[in-house]
Amino acid sequence: MDRERSIERFLPLRPVEFNILLSLAIGDRHGYGIIQDAEARDIGDVPDVGTLYRGLRRLTDQGLIRASGRRAAAEARDERRNYFGITPLGRRVAQAEARRMLALSRAARQSGLLEAGT
Amino acid sequence: MGSGRISLSERWLRLLLRLYPADFREEMGDSLVEAYLDRYAKAAKPGLGLPLGGMWARALADSVRNGLGERLRPAVGWRRAGNWGRDAEVALRRLVRAPAFTLSILGTLTVGLGAFAVVFTVVDNVLIEPLPYQRPGDLYFVWRDYRAFFDLNRGWLGGPDVAALDQAGGAIAAAVGLRRDRRTLADSAAGDRDPEEVGVMLASPNLFTVLGVNPILGRGFAPNEIGPDRPPVVVLGHDLWRRRFGGDPGVIGRSLRLNGDLFTVIGVMDRDFHFVRHSSLGPPEGAEAYINFAYRLADRPAGSGAFAGLVRARPGSSAEQVTAAVGAVGRSIDREHFNSRGLTLHPVSLEQDLVAQVRPAFLLLGLSGIFLVLVLTVNLATLLLARAVRREREFAVSRALGANQAALVRATLAEAGLLGTVGAAAAVVVAIWGTRAVVALAPADLPRREAIVVDWRVAAIMLGLGALLGLVAGAAPAFWASRSTLSMMLRNTAVRGGGRGRLRRSLVVVQVALCLVLLSAGGLVARSFGALLRSRPGFDPNGVLTVRVPIGQWRYPDNASAVAFHARLGDELSALPGVLSVGAGSAIPLTAGTDQSDVVLPGAPGNTGKREHDAPLADLLQVRAGWFRALGIRMLAGRDFEPPRPGSPREAIIDRTLAAEFFPSGTATGTRIVIGQDSLLVVGVVDHARQYDLHRDGRPQVYLRDDDDTYGALYFAVRSRRPVAGLVSEVRAVLRRIDPTIAVSEVRALDGVVDDSLRQERVTAVLIAGFSLGALLLAAMGLFGVIAGSVARRRHEIAVRMALGADRNRVLRLVLREGAGLVLLGAAVAVPGIYLSGLRMRGVLVGISPFDPLTLAVAVAALALVSLAACYLPANRVGQIQPAEALREE
Repeated sequence: MDRERSIERFLPLRPVEFNILLSLAIGDRHGYGIIQDAEARDIGDVPDVGTLYRGLRRLTDQGLIRASGRRAAAEARDERRNYFGITPLGRRVAQAEARRMLALSRAARQSGLLEAGT
Repeated sequence: MGSGRISLSERWLRLLLRLYPADFREEMGDSLVEAYLDRYAKAAKPGLGLPLGGMWARALADSVRNGLGERLRPAVGWRRAGNWGRDAEVALRRLVRAPAFTLSILGTLTVGLGAFAVVFTVVDNVLIEPLPYQRPGDLYFVWRDYRAFFDLNRGWLGGPDVAALDQAGGAIAAAVGLRRDRRTLADSAAGDRDPEEVGVMLASPNLFTVLGVNPILGRGFAPNEIGPDRPPVVVLGHDLWRRRFGGDPGVIGRSLRLNGDLFTVIGVMDRDFHFVRHSSLGPPEGAEAYINFAYRLADRPAGSGAFAGLVRARPGSSAEQVTAAVGAVGRSIDREHFNSRGLTLHPVSLEQDLVAQVRPAFLLLGLSGIFLVLVLTVNLATLLLARAVRREREFAVSRALGANQAALVRATLAEAGLLGTVGAAAAVVVAIWGTRAVVALAPADLPRREAIVVDWRVAAIMLGLGALLGLVAGAAPAFWASRSTLSMMLRNTAVRGGGRGRLRRSLVVVQVALCLVLLSAGGLVARSFGALLRSRPGFDPNGVLTVRVPIGQWRYPDNASAVAFHARLGDELSALPGVLSVGAGSAIPLTAGTDQSDVVLPGAPGNTGKREHDAPLADLLQVRAGWFRALGIRMLAGRDFEPPRPGSPREAIIDRTLAAEFFPSGTATGTRIVIGQDSLLVVGVVDHARQYDLHRDGRPQVYLRDDDDTYGALYFAVRSRRPVAGLVSEVRAVLRRIDPTIAVSEVRALDGVVDDSLRQERVTAVLIAGFSLGALLLAAMGLFGVIAGSVARRRHEIAVRMALGADRNRVLRLVLREGAGLVLLGAAVAVPGIYLSGLRMRGVLVGISPFDPLTLAVAVAALALVSLAACYLPANRVGQIQPAEALREE
């Protein structure tokens, strides 16, 4: 229960933070990789680079993600880059945020803002 | 070509990075730039003509927003509070880990700054705060200087003096005549029930305009409301209005009775209007109601002084101009009314006059406070320095590991500043309570007593002062921290100490010196106060209840009826169980309540033929038989008054000082004394019961038999073997039974009167004693710290000595010698300070020289004793050093 409360503390996440956690939930990424993921999801809110890196630093500081060391990028001129990975706490926070959003959409449906089935 | 463009972009992006704070740039900068470049690379591929400018602009917008955003709301937790916040956090943690150090510093700050703030508040309010009148610097009281006649340089003015001053023009804009009287107030609407005696100011109608104040209700006096035909109008003080009329705004136009006469209320003064009329001899007196003279001042006899003169100077006039203008008026008065015998007038600035009596004591207190704060600062520095030295290794290692210098200095300063601020906050609380306590202790006539509170301004000054003290005291160790390097540390392992020890030792010497100056001042003030308590005022205040019984002419119009009332009251009071004796007189000792007149003793052997000597100014008291017995004033020769018989002469009794001057060898009884037109028979000589100061005789005294021409409002003194407090209700009951319309007042024990007269001295003594004890404690703590540090540092050396065969006592002596040397040096440094403070204290001390050898010796001995103890405790640890163990450590 203490753990639940400690997770509640992080919610709601900022859009950029949720974007980061969404990408890292799949696997470790470098900064630009997260932007690419966001572009691929095609739901509009692609973060600016500065915003993204502030988000990365904030989440690192809070312990939701960690720097996972430098390694060769899969593409692009074979440079070595800073990679980030999600922590178990980060995963639980992202799940909690997703559940919160789901509950919100349910509520939106019940109040007729969304049609059933969407 | 593409790579050139990218490098240009990169340069632009790196420039934009400057917008972010340094730590963010260091950690994320490279990745950030790479991410941008990746993005540009991706975007550049499909269409070559892509507007690079647009991308750059977008990066600029992004960097401005997030760079500034990061500076304002940093992503990382500790940065969120800013660097000082982090420093404070770290400092706090360190302080909590060293509770003894923290508590000792906080304790000294709280006590030291708190005491300082109390004194500052009182001194500031009494000496510095401007009076609540318009241009108070232009207000002066004017006095007659009678010294060509007898010893009085602060005499009341005659009515014509005031009238002439008002007409003088030049530097003098206007003059006000003032008298203060006590009158029985009865609310006529309430059928004269519940009478009370109030202080009433009789003034020229321009009093309020000269002061530059206005009533909050109604109006002040009109210029023509003076003289025999003046309308009987009264302006009420705020307190009286609230107490008597419940603060009713409809009071204007109501009538009340003062001594039986009807007056109409025309105005009410503001809450903070507390005008006091300064006195020729006693303390300043305020009033609760203001009325006008029923006569013209110019018509009063010039020979007798009766008025205080208040003068307003024209704006821009200097004190010299006012003095000259007043002096000119004085010369014409002297010419017209005194045959040019040398009467002069002189002005005294209102502010100076008001605080003249308390100024020496307050200056002394202020200086002591400053000394205490100095000791405090030195102590703070010593403690912090000692701590810095103990943490030397920590500093050196941090620096070796790459901590930057600024951070170390900042951390040390943060620690000191935090301590200073928290200590000051606690001191504010102490100051608020302390000020209340001091004001409660303070004499009732302390100028502006009601205005003395710790205000937000003082609180803010103290917080600032605390932080500043902390920073100043922290600067030395901070400087220290910035200098120590690992190599220095390592080099110093064998011979630690050295130069830094000298700094700390000099601090202790300074502290010992300051402390000794304060201690000797405290000792002197305490002994002076002791002398005051032991002084014999010429009467015995124990077991005496005094009560003022103001009977007015409106109730007892002739002498016979008033004397009959006094006789009956005396008889009934004597009949109360436990009462030993009852007396009645016109003034109580130590209250400066007597009248004065010059007296002549024709035919007395002490006469010299010089008028100034042969007609001395004497205090006149009117008393009934029994007064001397009731007050415990010794009858030295002759007898007490006898009831007057028709045809018998009027009687007088003189005091010891007058008898000694005029009858050095013979007896005074049976001779004559002339006062004004009256010649009286001297029937006795009594001891001198001091009327002004507890510790010294005042002017000569002459007692007149009250029955001959009664004073009216007499004080009755009841000596009983029962506790005084238990007597009060019975005395009141007797008075109520005889005449319920009398507004009995000033019911108090005579020893309380003596106590009151000592209040200022008591406050000074208590505060200075507290200061010096505080300083002693601080010095002891400083010494303890230095010796303890020295023992710790010399552990190695001592171990070597012990290993080589020095025994424990020898080593102990070695350490104690260091402490004794510091104390001796401090005492030597203190000598000029003691001398200077002694010069300052001359006016404050009673019955003791400022260089009293015994007191100074005791101060030195106390300091030596406490210092020895402070040295012995840490020195004793020497005995616990096991040489083998200590040497192995190195």
